Amino acid sequence: MAKRQKRFEVLAERAVNEDGFIKEWIDVGLVAMDSPNDPSASIKIENGKVAEMDGKRREDFDMIDTWIADHTIDTAVAEEAMALDSLKIARMLVDINVPRAEIVRLSVGMTPAKYVDVLKKMNVVELMMAMQKLRPRRTPSNQAHVTNVKDTPALLAADAAEGAYRGFSEIETTVGVVRYAPMNALSLLVGGQVGRPGVLAQCAVEEALELTMGMRGLTHYAETVSVYGTEQVFVDGDDTPWSKAFLASAYASRGLKMRFTSGTGSEVQMGYAEGKSMLYLEIRCVMITKGAGVQGLQNGSISVVGVPGAVPSGVRAMLAENVATVLNDMEVASGNDQTFTHSPIRNTARMLMQFLPGTDFIFSGYSAVPNYDNMFAGSTHDVDDYDDMLVLQRDLQVDMSLRPVREDDVIAVRNKAARALQAVFNELRLPPITDEEVDAATYAHGTKDMGDRNIAEDLRAIDEFMQRGTTGLDVVRALAKHGFNDVAESVLNMLKGKVSGDYLHTSAIFDENFNVVAAINDLNDYEGPGTGYRLEGERWELLKDIRAAIDPEDV
Amino acid sequence: MAQSKEMNISPDVIAEAVKRAMAALGQESAKGVAANNLNGTLDAQRDYPLAEKRPDLVKSASGLALKDITLDKAVSGEIGFDDVKIRPETLEYQAQIAESIHRPKIAANLRRAAEMTQIPDERLLEMYGMLRPYRCTKQELLDLANDLETKYQARICAGFVREACDVYEKRNRLKR
Repeated sequence: MAKRQKRFEVLAERAVNEDGFIKEWIDVGLVAMDSPNDPSASIKIENGKVAEMDGKRREDFDMIDTWIADHTIDTAVAEEAMALDSLKIARMLVDINVPRAEIVRLSVGMTPAKYVDVLKKMNVVELMMAMQKLRPRRTPSNQAHVTNVKDTPALLAADAAEGAYRGFSEIETTVGVVRYAPMNALSLLVGGQVGRPGVLAQCAVEEALELTMGMRGLTHYAETVSVYGTEQVFVDGDDTPWSKAFLASAYASRGLKMRFTSGTGSEVQMGYAEGKSMLYLEIRCVMITKGAGVQGLQNGSISVVGVPGAVPSGVRAMLAENVATVLNDMEVASGNDQTFTHSPIRNTARMLMQFLPGTDFIFSGYSAVPNYDNMFAGSTHDVDDYDDMLVLQRDLQVDMSLRPVREDDVIAVRNKAARALQAVFNELRLPPITDEEVDAATYAHGTKDMGDRNIAEDLRAIDEFMQRGTTGLDVVRALAKHGFNDVAESVLNMLKGKVSGDYLHTSAIFDENFNVVAAINDLNDYEGPGTGYRLEGERWELLKDIRAAIDPEDV
Repeated sequence: MAQSKEMNISPDVIAEAVKRAMAALGQESAKGVAANNLNGTLDAQRDYPLAEKRPDLVKSASGLALKDITLDKAVSGEIGFDDVKIRPETLEYQAQIAESIHRPKIAANLRRAAEMTQIPDERLLEMYGMLRPYRCTKQELLDLANDLETKYQARICAGFVREACDVYEKRNRLKR
């Protein structure tokens, strides 16, 4: 082809053509929702136990089959649910006349292959309809990432505060340098409560350290507890369904909310997909989670989004796995938390799948920092997209859980968060946060506007801080001693949340008055137009009032 | 840091546990007993959230009511970290709430958790590590189950560890 057609030359330069795409490759599991190697759905119950599942006899079960058969599937409804035609179940999922309660009663009797058989009959609009109807919490919400490349605490606190203030009900940090974890957790603990009392904070690191910080009252919940769909990958991840379920109970025993994490493509990435479709393997993860009695799951491919993103129907599969989660009556934090494309068009289209129907957490990590500071490898959308998101909410009258804010208010909360953390550092013998750092964090775009800290000194102090056994209660005292009584009260109220355990339930978050909002007292009751969560009234007045809109009275 | 304190379990939790054990043994035939059971069980619509609707039931590990956990007391040092920890009774109540809204798996998780409240932080972390693949021999896992049962009265967790041991043995995931 010596002479190029000019339009093709232009197309070749488009961002989307920098993305990686691959044709389906069954043997290695590079297939989204429908592999010829996926088993056919079947079940046999003998003496109240699963004797055969998806064509496999009990004696041939691997560890995951055993877990699902013994802990997840409700043998009392299995035969009834499995006898229903998959197409009929798929239609029930979109039928406004079939209540959510009836669907979740039956879903616990379905095998992994049955889930796949149902979900693959649905197009994305039908899957969105199912999500709208089945997500456990009536009110949708959103989670944010709060990290930075320098692990600089004043900025973390300010970003946590701004994120909470803008409307995220959960905020999540992780580290550049692992030993910084407790300091990052502390920064979110304080900053989050400044931005909006009741916001939940977590620090995603290695399992044992993550749990230790939770036990100390430095975090409120955990999420990075990964499960996988094949036994080999699970074991390579150094866990089993039993160890992970034990860990889940350990969190609950300290009054801490938690959910598991999984996602399509992880088994392909780790080389043991057994030629099964990504969705089939992910359904197994969803069902492992259900059997562990964990209230929710973060999925939607998450950190391996490039894998399903590269194959046909991959973005649909990500929505389908989210739907599988809510079909199991579990909270879903539905992905949209990692950069997967160079194309802004593709990026936003993928996000609409969760934004339009609403999920428990539409993003399981909207970047509340600039993406260059995002230590989760960048999210799909970041701080520079805030105004676009506000306009999308307004255009479509759909709630992403973000509210319009004033610049002076944001400056005020950022500043207060940095100052509150400065006081806590002073009291807890951590290396000082200077007034210059407070000022820089208040006005910063990101770490490019922050100076460097003495890392060696920080790390030494953090180790001592952990050795002293510092707890959330020490943080309360430090805040109160320096006059931040309202923040102290909020941090204490979050500790009290762990005493009552109300937020251990499905899809639980706190409102600004520390009232728990969960899929019990705010259970999704969508049954068609006029029901369920609707963006109207006071909330709509708030969301439609964006800065850029001209007031006719001013014209 | 992890200091374990012997905690007292309240009579109503013991009563609840006995009732469940009896039900499991099939000794519970009279309808009257079943009705009593129902009355003693919390209900999601009526009782949730506990902090708001049943503050009478919520106490910290040390026995403090929520209203007695105040900023003043935190600042004066009158309350310590044990005063802001969950206790097993509360997890049992939350398990009942979960059951009443048809979430028996969550209830089971919370009941394992109730038992784990008695296990010190570091020991609990160690137990988690022992359940990871290839960490323990069969005997080590059975000893762990024994320890759970005898030292911490964690019978559900002990059964759970024995079950894991069984599966690990079949799937060659024990220490080699």
